[in-house]
Amino acid sequence: MTATLIPTLTIARRELASMFRLPVGWVVIALFLVLTASVVALSIQPGAPASLRGFFTLSAWLLMPVAPAVSMRLLAEERRTGTDEMLLTSPVSVLGVVVGKFLGAWFFLLCMLVPTLVYPVLLVAISDPRPDLGPMVSGYILLLLQGTLYLAIGTAVSSMTSNQTLAYLATLFPILALLLAGSLASESLPEVLRPIHDALQISRRAGDFARGIIDTGHVVFFLAASAWCLALAHAGLEWRKWR
Amino acid sequence: MILVREISKSYARIRAVRGISFAVEPGEIVGLLGPNGAGKSTTMRIITGFLRPDQGSVEIDGFDTHADSLAARQRIGYLPESAPLYPEMSVRGYLDHRARLFSLDRTQRIKAINTALDRCNITDVARRRIGQLSKGYRQRVGLAAAMLHDPKVLILDEPSNGLDPSQIRQTRSLVRELAESRTMIVSSHILPEVERLATRLVVIAGGQVRADDQLDTLLTTRGTRQILAEIKPPTTTTTTTTQSASKLLAAIRGITAIVHADTPDGWLALTLSVDPSAPDPRPEIARRLTASGFTLRELREVRPTLERVFADLIESPATPTPTPSPTTA
Repeated sequence: MTATLIPTLTIARRELASMFRLPVGWVVIALFLVLTASVVALSIQPGAPASLRGFFTLSAWLLMPVAPAVSMRLLAEERRTGTDEMLLTSPVSVLGVVVGKFLGAWFFLLCMLVPTLVYPVLLVAISDPRPDLGPMVSGYILLLLQGTLYLAIGTAVSSMTSNQTLAYLATLFPILALLLAGSLASESLPEVLRPIHDALQISRRAGDFARGIIDTGHVVFFLAASAWCLALAHAGLEWRKWR
Repeated sequence: MILVREISKSYARIRAVRGISFAVEPGEIVGLLGPNGAGKSTTMRIITGFLRPDQGSVEIDGFDTHADSLAARQRIGYLPESAPLYPEMSVRGYLDHRARLFSLDRTQRIKAINTALDRCNITDVARRRIGQLSKGYRQRVGLAAAMLHDPKVLILDEPSNGLDPSQIRQTRSLVRELAESRTMIVSSHILPEVERLATRLVVIAGGQVRADDQLDTLLTTRGTRQILAEIKPPTTTTTTTTQSASKLLAAIRGITAIVHADTPDGWLALTLSVDPSAPDPRPEIARRLTASGFTLRELREVRPTLERVFADLIESPATPTPTPSPTTA
């Protein structure tokens, strides 16, 4: 591991550990698992092929309030308590700090999703006929991509304020806008905005994933949008040095 | 060494720092003094790389804090004011986290953490959560974190903040010990504390350097020179004594003012202000008083206090103070 990577992973490690040191981390995971397990249990019908469609739909909506709750404290809390002064005077680049913080939150998302892998295993074991594995794999990939984007938006917002409530709300609204963009008829928009509207439609992309289609274009969209948000977070922290 | 070259920084319309320059040599402890809002914290934040100056530059051990930012920061141990820490972490866990940020390997980490715990006298709370510690302990955890990676430069903002007198003594002794092989800048509002720690002072007010000198030089050249004399007249009233003594001493070259007060045991205490450039007037004072029949109980030069010098410096109008030109590293 290079000298640059160690501090970044150190920041991610602390971030993840701090989420489990607080009750809120455990509560979020427990609630998520209880809700999703209930949906999975209710979706099992005798004689019908099992599917995780309900689980994926619910999880995608649950990510909307959960991701901002996880990301709101990432950089805003450091700024509020003054610990950013210790962090940003350590031999870590600003990019290393941003990526480390983001990775900590992303690993938390992973900790939240990993226990749900029990659901497909269970369904494969008990369902007859056997469920189609394609939509399950693509569903998980979509959840990870959506979670990555939401957390990246949250990291960017968190770099610009010291108020966690503000960070939560300012993350929630763009996510909501992305999700609801699909329900807005493209025809009602000016010609110039239509390509942007089409590109930002998360629901359309999610529909493809739900059918088991893993479109590289969709994957690139989520990853590029996440990278762009992290670049914004980087700019937010850099700007504070010059403010 | 630390080399600060003509740094300036503004927040919106407020010019917090205006063209500050100074250099700190290895082994030197420089006390950064100034009233609230003088620009001390901004200066320290620029030196540590937390803020970028609008103008000027800072070098740490030859590395520019902007161009070679990571190399410069690797050489700095920084304790910000009020020691911001993560309250949910244990002391040992926090120090381990800091050591990892400075890329210390496992062996180095264990050694560095144990040394820092021991030197800062916090081994007994190593497993406790930081949020449960008193302010004094938290301050020492901050100090331990600052010295963990054995930095060449230590920047300490109010290191004795929140400590009790015994802890202040321990911290002072630790800071002195650490300074033996390091370059150090210490900022404190407690003037006697700075006086005991620093060998050189940089006084900042209104974002400018008002004075930059060795402590002793500053006290002797900037402070008002005073002489205290306690006398008793031959046999006269107090008024006569005061008038005659004042008249007698006012004629001596270099005496600029005389203030008198009665002591509880009936003697007359005279405080004489003396022109710093004048020769020592004490032999002449003693000669004149004894020749006039006064009994002289005490005659001594009063060392000016840092508090007085500091007050004089920050109250005086801002003038471009000649600061020592930093030598190139």
